[in-house]
Amino acid sequence: MSHYSQLSPEQRRAKLYSIFSCVVICLIAFTFLFPLYWIITGSFKTKTEILSSTPVWVPSEWVMTNYENLMSKRTAPLFDFSLLGYTITGPTIPAALRWLLNTVVMSVSSMLLTCLTAAMAGYALAKKRFYGRTILFSLIVCAMALPKQVILIPLVREMSALELYDTIWSVIIPIVGWPFGVFLLKQFAEGIPTEMVEACRIDGASEWRTFTDVMFPMIKPGVGACAIFTFINSWNDYFMQLIMLMSTKELTISVGIATMQGENSTDFGILMAGSALASIPIIIVFLIFQKYFTKGITMGAVKG
Amino acid sequence: MVKTPVQYNKKQRRLVMQENVAAYAFLLPFLIFFVGFVLYPMFMCVYTSFFDATMGREDIFVGLKNYQDLFQDEVFWIALRNTLVIVVVSVPITCIFSLWVASAISKMPVAATSAFRCIFYLPVVTGSVAVTMVWKWMFNNYYGIFNYLGKDVLGILDKNINWLGDEKYALWCIILILLTTSVGQPIVLYVSALDNVDKSLVEAAEVDGATPKQAFWKIKWPQMMPTTLYILVITTINSFQCFALIQLLTSGGPKNSTMTIMYYIYYSAFKLYKYGYGNAMGVILAIIIAILSALQFKAGQEK
Amino acid sequence: MKKVIALLLALVMVLSLGACSVEKTVETQAPETQPAATEGTQAAAPEAAGDPVEISLWTYPIGKWTDEATVSALLADFNAAYPNITVKVEYLDYTNGDDKVNTAIEGGQAPDIVMEGPERLIANWGAKGLMVDLKDIVPAGTFESVLSSCTSADGAVYEMPVCMIAHCMAINRDVFEAADALQYLNEETHTWNSVEDFFKAVQAVYDAGNEYVGTIYCGGQGGDQGTRALITNLSGGTYANAEHTEYTYASQENAEALAKLYAQDGITFDTAIQAADEIQAFVNGTFQMAFCWNIGQEVTNADALSFDVLPMAFPSDTTPSLQGGIWGFGVFDNGDEAKIEAAKTFIKFMTEDDAQYIKAVEATTYAPVRDVEGVYATDELFPEYNLLSPMMGDYYQVTKGWTQARTEWWNMLQRVSATDGSVEAILAEMETAQTAANAAAAAEG
Repeated sequence: MSHYSQLSPEQRRAKLYSIFSCVVICLIAFTFLFPLYWIITGSFKTKTEILSSTPVWVPSEWVMTNYENLMSKRTAPLFDFSLLGYTITGPTIPAALRWLLNTVVMSVSSMLLTCLTAAMAGYALAKKRFYGRTILFSLIVCAMALPKQVILIPLVREMSALELYDTIWSVIIPIVGWPFGVFLLKQFAEGIPTEMVEACRIDGASEWRTFTDVMFPMIKPGVGACAIFTFINSWNDYFMQLIMLMSTKELTISVGIATMQGENSTDFGILMAGSALASIPIIIVFLIFQKYFTKGITMGAVKG
Repeated sequence: MVKTPVQYNKKQRRLVMQENVAAYAFLLPFLIFFVGFVLYPMFMCVYTSFFDATMGREDIFVGLKNYQDLFQDEVFWIALRNTLVIVVVSVPITCIFSLWVASAISKMPVAATSAFRCIFYLPVVTGSVAVTMVWKWMFNNYYGIFNYLGKDVLGILDKNINWLGDEKYALWCIILILLTTSVGQPIVLYVSALDNVDKSLVEAAEVDGATPKQAFWKIKWPQMMPTTLYILVITTINSFQCFALIQLLTSGGPKNSTMTIMYYIYYSAFKLYKYGYGNAMGVILAIIIAILSALQFKAGQEK
Repeated sequence: MKKVIALLLALVMVLSLGACSVEKTVETQAPETQPAATEGTQAAAPEAAGDPVEISLWTYPIGKWTDEATVSALLADFNAAYPNITVKVEYLDYTNGDDKVNTAIEGGQAPDIVMEGPERLIANWGAKGLMVDLKDIVPAGTFESVLSSCTSADGAVYEMPVCMIAHCMAINRDVFEAADALQYLNEETHTWNSVEDFFKAVQAVYDAGNEYVGTIYCGGQGGDQGTRALITNLSGGTYANAEHTEYTYASQENAEALAKLYAQDGITFDTAIQAADEIQAFVNGTFQMAFCWNIGQEVTNADALSFDVLPMAFPSDTTPSLQGGIWGFGVFDNGDEAKIEAAKTFIKFMTEDDAQYIKAVEATTYAPVRDVEGVYATDELFPEYNLLSPMMGDYYQVTKGWTQARTEWWNMLQRVSATDGSVEAILAEMETAQTAANAAAAAEG
């Protein structure tokens, strides 16, 4: 503060402004942190404290009851599949763990499939001239604008005709078909100079080699962004999961927790324990990919 | 875009053919999913919107009646108005707020930037059901944190406000929660966009005596235009499709003050089994979003 | 970074190998089908000769029918007698259950058996011709009044009733005692002395320093049976006509009752909360009475309740007419005779034999629908709540246009909360809602 008076009014104002914005951002950040804090501490509270009419900031007694309930109320096999007419069923575990596993498998599969198909399609849309290109792109934008609720019933009919209803594929496939990733990677691929692609072709490389050796490495950051977005979208795609999945062993964590609720009574303990558990993998993914991720999106968007 | 091939000789024609085959080969994996599981249901949606379709009986063709009914439905107009309010308020605020936060945190040390970026992304990551539940408790009339702070701690309020139960506040509460779940991605984007701005240009401007403010608006802002455009389009689509918050918090009330098109579609199709009617609304919503997105693209690309 | 991705990839491959069930073959239904736990149910001779059938049972959260351990025990009994029938149980919740069942029906994936009440089984899916008539397997002695609620207009029984409950209200006995308000009610019969005394009691509790005594919750349709029953009991009016074709609640007496509630200190209209929130606020002591209550609520909230709960009939000047809840099994007609037969066999097994029926009923925590010896022999709460069962009134939840009528009701209450509280204004809002509800009923007609 001693040299504060030596600053010009302009600098002083800038300084004040940056202190002010810092404080405000810290305050706002607090409200963003609060729900997670509340969920995590809440998952260790007793039922009385969860329902308390005065805020209980820190549990007076940390209990595991909610996690025990979450783990004990339902069971499911760890895995199960049929081979040559035999059904192979894994050991019975708490269903919540199976749900978590399902959710991870679902999100990762949609992520990988989307990245692959979207990178290829984005490349074609950006760099190839073909009949129907404009129409296809318009359809992609329209599809993104269409609310998912209205396509659910035809989708359920389709999935049951294909015998995919009540399997995680019924949730993965619509996400892979959702054109968001294609849109993102098309924007991205457009930023890559066409000359580079052509040079490669003139050197005699095949179409596929051109894609894998030239195009893909260059749009990698975009693919990274697409990966994380798809992962998170798929993780949070509650409504689709709710409609498509039915069996206890096929559910995802958020839908599974919902089936544990009674009539006119929400078991907040189980809800919070489940949500806390479910947010851990996704936060880890975010932290791991953070650097890659941010770089990726920006380049994609900047080129937009 | 694709020019009509005018006078091509045999070889050129073969090249065009090849290009087409290659393009569709690359598109094929995506097209299988897109056509089969997005376009086909989408087509069915448009098709059903011309029928009086419900559960347990054959659909009856009614032409444009669903659309006519829609325009005479008072609730539809309320829902449309509320949806537009959400879009008009939340889209600019999301963009401005995330730009402001991004520019403030990008000047901080790297660790702090990462920490804040992560914190602002948390609501997206935590999952909507649980986060919404916490907000519902915070807004509670009797023991929610806002009334507790406002009345008992700070003394600003004389009596409890029923935030979600009051027509005057309910929609704004929804918008507030929507904002917290939608600024994460733009902040992340803007932080990196600011990093990627050509430093030499900024330095050159500063040598020429530009104030930080001028440097920002004259140099950085135009370079971030594509990011802004992208954020605008995505935020617009998300705001239009605001549904889960309404379902979990207000069911569209009080007195339809938080009824959005998406919730009304859900209510018509899933609660009243008016599939045709719900689909007609979905088509209208998609058209509105598509037009707005196209306009945003046009505006962005002209700049 | 590459390592991480490679690791993830490997993980995914391993996991997808393990976690995706490729084929929907008949799977061996858990180990509890072992004949170990079968004593006592040997009466029904095992019909092992039958072909293996797999049927699905979807259950809404009805008491402990949402609890896997309880349901598995019941299934074990069944499989001891019918090892050839595999029952696959899945659990629904009230928030999303309807969306799930409805899309499943549309997708041709309806369950074989669903456990719910007449408003869905008869008025909704039954009326749409999706259900199987269960008349031929109804056990003798089933209460006539209950059975008639489970019967459609053309005489088909689309729901095999299992249990029933009279939805009631509850008061915080400790607070009422402290406010000297227990004098206005009869603790033995669980009834209010009169409508006037109910309001006196609310006033007394309010005057004793309780700002919030009770609330007319109308933030959504959840638990709306409470507000409906409160108003019609206070007024002695009706909600729907006896034929269940038309809504009749827009009457002078109902409007007057609502106006009285509007004017009463301590009673608020809360447009932000539904019954679940009201119950929560009652349990934590915010409200001194709850209008949505039944034995299930006391069981669920037992470990969070720090005061004595007194279940009460709704205040009325005549005999209270409580809203009933009847839950039971319905069978979807999925076009497969073998499955329908298997579903009927299952239902018959659960409801016909007294010993087994008692187990099935006790799993619901609600009252049986026919007289059986020894039900809830060791239960402490049941006798108290069962005193209210005889007050169960007309089961009008099967009136046509029910779904829309429910929405109209809570929207009407929301609008009433914004009026000046005069009888005329309230009646006008009631009429608006009733007209819309009746239009929906006529459209279904």
